[in-house]
Amino acid sequence: MSDNFEKTAEQAAAFQKIWMNSMSKVMQTAFTFGSNSPPPDVLKEIRSGIFRALAQSWEEYMRSPQFAESMKQWMDAAINFRKMSNDFMAKVRNEMQAPSRDDIDTVMLTVRHMEKRLLDRIDDLSNQIAALNNRSNGQSAKGQSAKSASPTNPRPKARKARKSLRGAKVEAV
Amino acid sequence: MSEATSFSNPWLQWQRTLIDETVAVAGRMSALPTLWERAKKIKKGVSPAEVVYEEDRLKLLHYKSENEPRYKTPLVFIYALVNRPYILDLKKGRSVVANFVAHGFDTYLVDWGVPTPADRHLTLDDYINGYMVNVMDYLSERTGVDRLNVLGYCMGGTMSAIFTALHPEHVKNLILLAAPIDFSSKDGLLNLWTSAENFDVDKFVDAFGNCPSEFLQASFLFLRPVGNFIEKPINFYENMHDEKFLDDFLTTESWLNDNIPVPGEVYRQFVKYLYQQNLLTQNRMPVGKHIVNLQNITCPVLNLMAGKDDLVPCSQGMPFTDLVGSKDRKTILLEGSGHIGLAIGGRAQKEVWPQACEWLARRSD
Repeated sequence: MSDNFEKTAEQAAAFQKIWMNSMSKVMQTAFTFGSNSPPPDVLKEIRSGIFRALAQSWEEYMRSPQFAESMKQWMDAAINFRKMSNDFMAKVRNEMQAPSRDDIDTVMLTVRHMEKRLLDRIDDLSNQIAALNNRSNGQSAKGQSAKSASPTNPRPKARKARKSLRGAKVEAV
Repeated sequence: MSEATSFSNPWLQWQRTLIDETVAVAGRMSALPTLWERAKKIKKGVSPAEVVYEEDRLKLLHYKSENEPRYKTPLVFIYALVNRPYILDLKKGRSVVANFVAHGFDTYLVDWGVPTPADRHLTLDDYINGYMVNVMDYLSERTGVDRLNVLGYCMGGTMSAIFTALHPEHVKNLILLAAPIDFSSKDGLLNLWTSAENFDVDKFVDAFGNCPSEFLQASFLFLRPVGNFIEKPINFYENMHDEKFLDDFLTTESWLNDNIPVPGEVYRQFVKYLYQQNLLTQNRMPVGKHIVNLQNITCPVLNLMAGKDDLVPCSQGMPFTDLVGSKDRKTILLEGSGHIGLAIGGRAQKEVWPQACEWLARRSD
């Protein structure tokens, strides 16, 4: 409790400091400009000076550890709230005998694992076919299989498989 | 006498300002009722295009030209997974795409589409070794050219660099536009906010699935809070009676507020491997079963950067040309310009894009 209080106090102090700095910079900027220019131009210069000072102060604040800490706390709260609402919705859907997001995610993951296993298998098979072709052409299978696995040409046959698995469609031009 | 003049001049100036301001306020008020209608009429992309290839949510657009392309090598734009790609073809006179089409390039653009919750498991491997490879294969078949010109913008630039390192046989020339490569620098606030100490990306993706568009939008706005929340509305109010300003403002703002979510696993990988571990510059970045080695990039490389980019500071893009294996490499830095200005700004249209078109033309068949 006291730890939390200290953190909050630190953040409040940092925020207060940033405002004090901002205001002092703003006042400095406002009194820096002379009256040589026409009045509207002076006002505009003062205004842009004030904005520059404010932007600088905010940049400093957003780089401070206090801002990082408050951002982290806010993120944690948002994540916890989202988890709670996910759990609640999952319970409601399960009670209604309807699939929850978790159930759908599980199905999606299973499909993706199947796809990955299939693609890996196609990779292996295409490498084997390439090796057999090379052997039948009287070339060194060893050298060719090394070529097909080179980092500059990764998984050359898998793309076609991936395309067909994902159902690409091409429109007539 | 001189005292009287110095007294009367400001006084007259004040009076003139008062009258001018009254007229301007009347103009602003008269512009108000049509504002909503005008915002609704903003076009999303202006150059004529047709969809030539589709896969899942991906669409490949082909830009039509009145003349036959002068160069056989096609050019493909790879956009980021954040926001929509029509920023590259925003409006007449501010379209990156139109520059290349007018220069005689056969131009294509990859629109990734809007991911749904079902896409949360898509990874960088799916995008780079799956979709991008399929697009390149399709274009090779369509045009009869094996190696294509690739231009990647922002996150799309990072993906294009990774793609070129893994599939150099597909890329003839690579152009990166404000693309983050080296994430070690803490110049940008995003790097600071996404560091491992400040941001638990695993917890975030596990809870939210896809990274919500509102979260991304808020992060981008808070990079320049004073500019976005104070200066921009004031600037808008002061100039809303100016037709040209209003048109530019509404077009840009429509795009800025047209965010889309990022697939959860891609977001996790991007934050963890790049923002937190900076693996790409160390040639240790895993994409599927492969490790990306930037030294495999040997094609000509053009790196375009903006001097006042809050999203991708120069320090993130600059090291790229030193990390690749290419001998033909060039960097163009547009001082005083921001992330979007580099693409659509008036100075970029005059200074950057003619140079980029020339650079690419000299290296294309």
